[in-house]
Amino acid sequence: MTVFAAFDWQYIWDHRQVLAEGLKVTLELAAIGIAGSFVIGLVLGACRAYRIPVISQLAGVYVELIRNTPILVQIFLIAYGLPRLTKTLQFDFFFVACLALIIWGGAFNTENFRAGFEAVPKRYREAAFALGFSRIQTFLNISLPIGGRIALPSSLNTYVSVFKNTALMTAISVEELTNVAKQSIDLDFRTWEMILVLAVTYLTLVWLLSILIRLLERRLALPEAA
Amino acid sequence: MTNRLPEWAQPVVDYIIHVGLKNTLIIASTSVVLSVVIGVVLGTLLTLDARLVRSAVRLYIEIWRGLPIIVTIFLLYFALPTVSDELHFPALDLDPMRAAILGLALWGSAQIAEATRGAVQSIPREQHEAAAALGFGWVGRHTYVILPQAFRRLLPPLVGLCVGVIQNSTLASIIGVPEVLETAQRSANRLAVPTVDPATLSIEGGDSHALEIYLFVFFLFFVISFPLTRLAAYLERRLH
Repeated sequence: MTVFAAFDWQYIWDHRQVLAEGLKVTLELAAIGIAGSFVIGLVLGACRAYRIPVISQLAGVYVELIRNTPILVQIFLIAYGLPRLTKTLQFDFFFVACLALIIWGGAFNTENFRAGFEAVPKRYREAAFALGFSRIQTFLNISLPIGGRIALPSSLNTYVSVFKNTALMTAISVEELTNVAKQSIDLDFRTWEMILVLAVTYLTLVWLLSILIRLLERRLALPEAA
Repeated sequence: MTNRLPEWAQPVVDYIIHVGLKNTLIIASTSVVLSVVIGVVLGTLLTLDARLVRSAVRLYIEIWRGLPIIVTIFLLYFALPTVSDELHFPALDLDPMRAAILGLALWGSAQIAEATRGAVQSIPREQHEAAAALGFGWVGRHTYVILPQAFRRLLPPLVGLCVGVIQNSTLASIIGVPEVLETAQRSANRLAVPTVDPATLSIEGGDSHALEIYLFVFFLFFVISFPLTRLAAYLERRLH
């Protein structure tokens, strides 16, 4: 088959610079998205679990709205819809991408952390209160270490999804890996070469992350869960 | 009710609903059916003792679950046709709609395979043994005894898959399939171009109404997905 016989390794090598730049943007987006969704998930998850009035209800609406709509629609709404409201909401598309990833990941993570904190047995918290711990102290010393570990597997899966979602930023032409590869396909029609680069890069990173998740899960698993 | 919509909105809503939503539903339903058929078979194979079969299915699952769906769609839509020319096998020359359906089905079948494995393994050994004692072979045992029981456990992830596929069908817009998001985008782009009234020579329009259009799409998806996620949660709760 000539398609594969004509497979041009040199072409990939020649484009290593642009591809590396694309990968860098992808990793930046992923890092920002993951960090942001961790913070949002932790804070709103705690508010949900401990039924902090008003914030808890608002967070509930936020979670349902984001989880029940496609992330691509959210991206378009932020990129093209919001600037129609006021000009101050006109962001550059890298920022839109970060925002969309954080909002999306944050919603899923709120749910992960809520479930984690709610799974902490009530008696632990009661014991802490009886020992004179304040609410904040109880949260930091009891609920967070235990609930955080219960929430860990599901939240790590959310981070993998956040990483995979960076590829969607092609739709708003952020120069991340998928977009860079797509652009050179449009230019040179070396389709298989670029698709191979994409597939190998994403699969390597996702699989590495999954292995890491499994190791971490084993290390951080609660002793009593084993 | 529709009369109360502003003049620009009526054709937009009509287009998004009649063309966009129709295509979205075609894409989603076809790929859900494909996902279930492929996924249930692969998931059942995953419970076999044969090591080789299991690792082959594992590889399939890890690949299509690991790739961002958009990369899968690019593979099917941009890369496959080059092979189809080479082999004179035009079936591989997918139109955008089919590429999107297949891309979603590869992802969805990987999800369903994993869920099926869990569901089949949750059926107690005695069921296998009893069916075998009644003279069922491997295929008969699974079709008539094991899978019907496993289906109860498969229901929540199945409804979850429908939600996932409906949401991810918006990716088809990136290769130009006129589904909900693409029709919305085209409408906004069309409205953004000002038109000249031939009678008065006055310039009209030029407002993309992007906010209203994308909000409409946002809530359209919400109205479809929300009942389904509730249903999945209810089915999940009923299992325990």
